[in-house]
Amino acid sequence: MKIKFFFLAALFVLPFVVFSAQTEKIKIEKIDKQKLSSLLKNRKGNALFINLWATWCIPCREEFPSIVKLVNDYKNKPVDFIGISIDYPDEIDSKIIPFLEKQNANFANFVNGFEKDEDLIKLLDENWNGALPATFTFDKTGKKISFLEGEQSYNSFKKEIKKVIKR
Amino acid sequence: MKKNIFLVMIIAFLFQIALNAGEPGKIQNFTLKDYNGKEHSLYDYKNAKAIVIIFVATQCPVSNAYNQRMEKLYQDYRDKNTVFLGINSNKQESAEEVAEHAKKNNLNFTILKDPGNKIADRFNASVTPEVYVLNSNFEILYHGRIDDSRRGDNIQRQDARNALDEILAGKKVTVAQTKAFGCTIKRVD
Repeated sequence: MKIKFFFLAALFVLPFVVFSAQTEKIKIEKIDKQKLSSLLKNRKGNALFINLWATWCIPCREEFPSIVKLVNDYKNKPVDFIGISIDYPDEIDSKIIPFLEKQNANFANFVNGFEKDEDLIKLLDENWNGALPATFTFDKTGKKISFLEGEQSYNSFKKEIKKVIKR
Repeated sequence: MKKNIFLVMIIAFLFQIALNAGEPGKIQNFTLKDYNGKEHSLYDYKNAKAIVIIFVATQCPVSNAYNQRMEKLYQDYRDKNTVFLGINSNKQESAEEVAEHAKKNNLNFTILKDPGNKIADRFNASVTPEVYVLNSNFEILYHGRIDDSRRGDNIQRQDARNALDEILAGKKVTVAQTKAFGCTIKRVD
C-alpha cells in the first residue's frame, strides 16, 4: 500500500519537477564598477574570459554559439566565463533573457550597470573605442592578457583561453 | 666615411620622428566618392573652419539611433563654415545601399563610400558612429561620440557639439576625446 502511494505521489510530482527544471529562469544582474573591479581582482586561482555583447549587435550574435561551446569544453578547467550585455537594464526581460535562452547560454551574464558607458570601456581597455563585440582575458592574478575587438572564431577564442590558463 | 654617413642617417631619422611628433593627428589628403559617384578630396575643404567626419553605417542600430541627431548637427552648423562628411567603411554596405539609407532617413550631408576601409584605417576608426572634428589645418581636435546617450533620452553631454562650438570660437577643445559603445566597422579580410 505504502509503495503504491509513494509511486502515485512520485508520478504526480515528477512532471512539476521536470517542468521547473526546464524553465529555470536565467537571472541577470547589473554589473557596476565596484562589482567588475572585484571580479577582476579576486580570481581565486581561475583565469577569466569576458565577452561584451548586445542583442542589437549582429557579430555578437554570430560569435555567441562559439562561447557557449567553449564553456562546455572548458567546464572543469581553471577559467571562468562571463558575459556583459550592453543592452539596457529595462531590456532584461524583453531582450536579454530571450536571447540567452535561445542560445542555451550556460555561463553567468550581466547587464551593464555602470553610471557612464565610458567608465566600463576605460576599465577594460584605454585603447578600446567601444566597438562591439569585444573580448578580454585575464590570468589568475587578474592581469589582462588579451583584448580581442570584433567578431572572433571558436579557434581564435580557444587560442586565447589556452594561453591564459597556462600562466 | 661610412661611419659619418651612418651618423647622418640616424640624425635624419630622429629629425623625421621629431617632425612627425610635432603634428599630432594631422590627416593627409584623401579622395573618396560619395554615393552619387562624385569625388570629394579632404583638402578641397581647406577654407572651412571645422570639418566634421562621422563614420556611419546603414545596418548598425546605434548609428541609426543617431540619424536624426547627425542631421540636426549638420543643419545647425552647415552655415557656420563647417563641412560635414559621413564615411561608410563597412565592407558589406554598398554605395547603392548607402544612398537608399540616406534618402529614407533624410540624411542630407555628404556620405562617402570608403572601399577597402583605407580611410578608416588612416583615422584608426573602429566603431559606428565615430566622430572626428578637424580644423582647417586637418588636425584632429576632437575624437569620439556625438553625445552620451545612445537612446537620446538622457543626454547629459553633447560632446561633438561642444567641441565644434569651441573650435568655431577659436578656443581650445576642453574634452578632446570621448568613448561610447557602437558597432564594429566591418573591414575587408
